[in-house]
Amino acid sequence: MRSLLFWLLLMTPTVTVALPLARPVAMPIGPGPDRMAAGVARMVGSILEFTRWPTERPVVRMCMAGAVAHGDQLDEISLSNGARIATVALAADDAAPAARCDALYLGSLDAAVRQRLIAAVRGNAVLTIAEDDRDCAGGAMFCLLFAPQTLSFQLNIDAVSRSTVRVDPRVLRVAKGGY
Amino acid sequence: MAEPSPTAMPTLRQLLARAHLRLILFAVLMAGLTLTVTGVTVIRGYAARNLTLIAQTVAYTVEPALVFDDVDAARRGIATVAASESVRSVELHGRDGRLIAAWNQPDRGMTGGLSRIVDALFWPSPVRVPVHHGPVVVAEVQVFGDAGGLGRYILSGVATALACLGLTIVATQLLARRLQRDVTGPLAHIADVAHAVRTDRQFDRRVPAAGIQEVDQFARDFNALLDELDEWHAGILNENRILERQATRDPLTGLGNRAMFERELTATMAQADESDTSFAVIYVDVNRFKQVNDSHGHDAGDVMLIVIAARLRMALRPGDMAFRLGGDEFALILAAGSTRTEADQLSGQIGEGMIQPIMLPSGVSIRSSLSIGSALYPQDSVDPRALLRHADAAMYAAKARGDGRN
Repeated sequence: MRSLLFWLLLMTPTVTVALPLARPVAMPIGPGPDRMAAGVARMVGSILEFTRWPTERPVVRMCMAGAVAHGDQLDEISLSNGARIATVALAADDAAPAARCDALYLGSLDAAVRQRLIAAVRGNAVLTIAEDDRDCAGGAMFCLLFAPQTLSFQLNIDAVSRSTVRVDPRVLRVAKGGY
Repeated sequence: MAEPSPTAMPTLRQLLARAHLRLILFAVLMAGLTLTVTGVTVIRGYAARNLTLIAQTVAYTVEPALVFDDVDAARRGIATVAASESVRSVELHGRDGRLIAAWNQPDRGMTGGLSRIVDALFWPSPVRVPVHHGPVVVAEVQVFGDAGGLGRYILSGVATALACLGLTIVATQLLARRLQRDVTGPLAHIADVAHAVRTDRQFDRRVPAAGIQEVDQFARDFNALLDELDEWHAGILNENRILERQATRDPLTGLGNRAMFERELTATMAQADESDTSFAVIYVDVNRFKQVNDSHGHDAGDVMLIVIAARLRMALRPGDMAFRLGGDEFALILAAGSTRTEADQLSGQIGEGMIQPIMLPSGVSIRSSLSIGSALYPQDSVDPRALLRHADAAMYAAKARGDGRN
């Protein structure tokens, strides 16, 4: 009985640390005509805040692939370290996306094309964010999750670990199903 | 040992106990105070560092939540880190001072009000740590400390000190008892002996060795003093004996003098009364003593008196006593129980003893004779003066008759 109590006490901090992880970050989406685009811009900006490239990027080149629904305001993001965002449209058959992109924002895409693009940037310093992948099975590092009033994201830890881009581990804790 | 006076004079043990109590009380209080102050200071220092660490951890933890603009996540992050006994509450303020999230230690019930006061006393201001995101300060974490641990430390310190004080009082009593046994025991011996010497004149009593240097020295001196006192006392007794002898004895013949005769007469009368018997008093007068003195000198008279005294003494039976009343007058007191027959018999015996001549220093030998008269108590008189007069009269009658052939 006493040893059980002992183990319960010992486990308590672990449990309290683990509990919040069951709930992902929920970024409120504000009002306004283009509220989804603004929310996505803030979410992507927050993700970029905790992302580190092997060398500092004064301008983050963000390639947009596929049919992007809420990416209108992404180029308005400015990061706390002074970096700007430059959005670049990426052709679906681009041969070497890794050379031209620091981040890859994937809109609605054909599964095969998406797979090819993600495979092309794997192992390079390219952050991948999927807008339209609820199960986050496509291989992107971040998948945006849309709820009526809030916006959250899921993290693909396998993809993050394969990339040379470093993501602050604290972000794991605010992702859906985080660690 | 004399009883202590009823006025509140403290005994040695009380003095010792009081001194011990003060000493130990002082030591315990000093140690307790020092430990408590040091302990509180050190613990407060550690607690302050702990609070800073907690604040920094909170700041680090809530940074992504703030960046992602999720208050709920920030709140959860705070709770995760701050769930510690040493934290009363945590507040997260935005850059404009607006409260973003707060966390409070669950209420501690009855002691809540009191502990809040103690908290405010020990942690008057919160620990403030800014939340950085890159070079930008996005918020400030304020951590308010909880003095519960400190309070418990102080309380347990006070309880320990009180327990120590209780032990102290018991230990003091034991120590005092022991010291008293070791110190006042030997002193009590000395006091006992002094008392015995003063009241019972036991000059042969001596103080045993004490086993304490100072007391031993004192006891030795005391014993030496007793030795001197003993000697002095013996001297006084001896002198008294000599004085008494001088006062009751005739120096020439060694017989009792008139004073002793009167004393012994009274004593023998009492003895005879008690045993309801009679006794005789015999008066003796030397015939022609003056002529001997005049013709042969005073030395010859003295020799004659000494010889007569010796012959009287020889005639005495056990219990009989002989006295020289003065000049050539002698008296005998026969022991209680003597009768007139015995008195007459003894008178005759004494008279016959004088037949033998006495050799004077000049070489001349002279013969002396005695006039003897006796009286019997209580037959002749019960009054001592009348009794003596009776004996005197009998003696003069004998002298007139010319008894003793001279």
